[in-house]
Amino acid sequence: MNSPFSDRRVLVVEDEVLVAWLLEDMLADLGCAVVGPAASVKQALAMIDAEAIDVAVLDVNLNGQLSYPIADALAARGVPFVFSTGYDKDRMLDGYKTFPVLQKPFHQSELSDILAKLLTPKEPSAEPIIATVAETPP
Amino acid sequence: MPSEEDKSTEQKVAESEVESFRKDLGPFVVAAESTRMAMVFTDAKEPNHPFIFANDSFLSLAGYEREEVLGQSFNFLLGRPADPDALAQVEAAFASSSENDFEICFRRKDGSTFWAAFFISPIRDKTGDVVQHFASFVDLSKHIQEEERLRFLLDELNHRTQNTLATVQAIAVQTLHGAADKEAVDTFEGRILALSKAHGLLGRKLWDAVSLRDVIDQILQPFGLNGRRVAQFSVAGDDVRLQPKAALTLALVLHELATNAAKHGALSNDAAGKIDIAWQVEPTPQGDRMRLRWQESGGPPVTPPGRKGFGSRLIEGGLAQDLDGEVRLDYEPAGVVCQIIMPVPRQVGG
Repeated sequence: MNSPFSDRRVLVVEDEVLVAWLLEDMLADLGCAVVGPAASVKQALAMIDAEAIDVAVLDVNLNGQLSYPIADALAARGVPFVFSTGYDKDRMLDGYKTFPVLQKPFHQSELSDILAKLLTPKEPSAEPIIATVAETPP
Repeated sequence: MPSEEDKSTEQKVAESEVESFRKDLGPFVVAAESTRMAMVFTDAKEPNHPFIFANDSFLSLAGYEREEVLGQSFNFLLGRPADPDALAQVEAAFASSSENDFEICFRRKDGSTFWAAFFISPIRDKTGDVVQHFASFVDLSKHIQEEERLRFLLDELNHRTQNTLATVQAIAVQTLHGAADKEAVDTFEGRILALSKAHGLLGRKLWDAVSLRDVIDQILQPFGLNGRRVAQFSVAGDDVRLQPKAALTLALVLHELATNAAKHGALSNDAAGKIDIAWQVEPTPQGDRMRLRWQESGGPPVTPPGRKGFGSRLIEGGLAQDLDGEVRLDYEPAGVVCQIIMPVPRQVGG
């Protein structure tokens, strides 16, 4: 089956090993190539430097470390991403509230919906990249 | 502290009022001065309600010396510039002929603020004229801190619950992978997710009433409501507040209906079927009752299932038992119809 996600490279940032495996399986099922998983900010930043990445799924809380620096690094490179969290969306830090969020636990269809949105080529626009990827799903 | 010569005539008058007040009330003044309840009296005959009495608790709450307060107009407690809403509320309370109480934010001498449960009551003389006002203040800072702490703990608990359910989902999928057929794994995963979505919603509303629309949005999101299948859903009805238990059960029921629709009904095999969800609330002598109808159309012809699975047991039994509701599930050939009648809490507002 030719999936819209075929060979898209998805960075997975998740510190819970079981949840990371599940996410890897979901992504493999969608035809994506998984980069990672990274379990810490340091690992993730190293992967962003070393690997080609089309889109990323970021757990917000990595064993006490918050993943916002990873979000900044991705945004600076124009790589779209979605946060995943068991916290309420309202708990996101100011300045990050407009990015899309997957509320944990989530279904594969929710993951594919958000990835499809993030990977849709954007209309050329004068808006900065951050504003373009900041659209929350309706 | 200003010297006698600097004082305005008004202030001197106010201070002499204070003295007569102390003489008249003798032992009561001592009691009022030492009680833990912060309290003040103000003069209703002077403009701007100057303080004529302030007890020790009030002074320590607001951070002033007694002589800094007496003779001052009441509104100086609101800070400068005062919040217009707070000012209006206080002025209305002074103008009122009866007792008033409300929560309001005051400013201390050092500029910091405190929330207080504020009580104010007019005091009349023998002829019935309002001569003074009595006001008391209960500091709510501790109460608010405690609320914030509980909110924080509840957030943590919700977060852990959601993470635990995410781990259960992961364990289930990993464990059953290859050992059970994919449909069984999907069904199990779907139920865990529906449960967690309902819990998440309730957690965000602090386990208070949640809205039916939020429940529908959360549960049907994975089935493409507002997404890839937006055209196949219609959702109609004024929003209804649900009790937590009702919301939880209804969430699981909606999930089972949607799962069935995705497998055999209006959402199956890329069928161009439709699901119409509509409800209304009717007042009855026993309280408000909601009638909700789930109607599928345009899917493959429906045949009733041979045996009752968990889904139909939950739909027909769960609501009826848990919620004192009535459920009719009909496998009409044109599409599944589920009618739910259940009590709902009295709806406030329109």
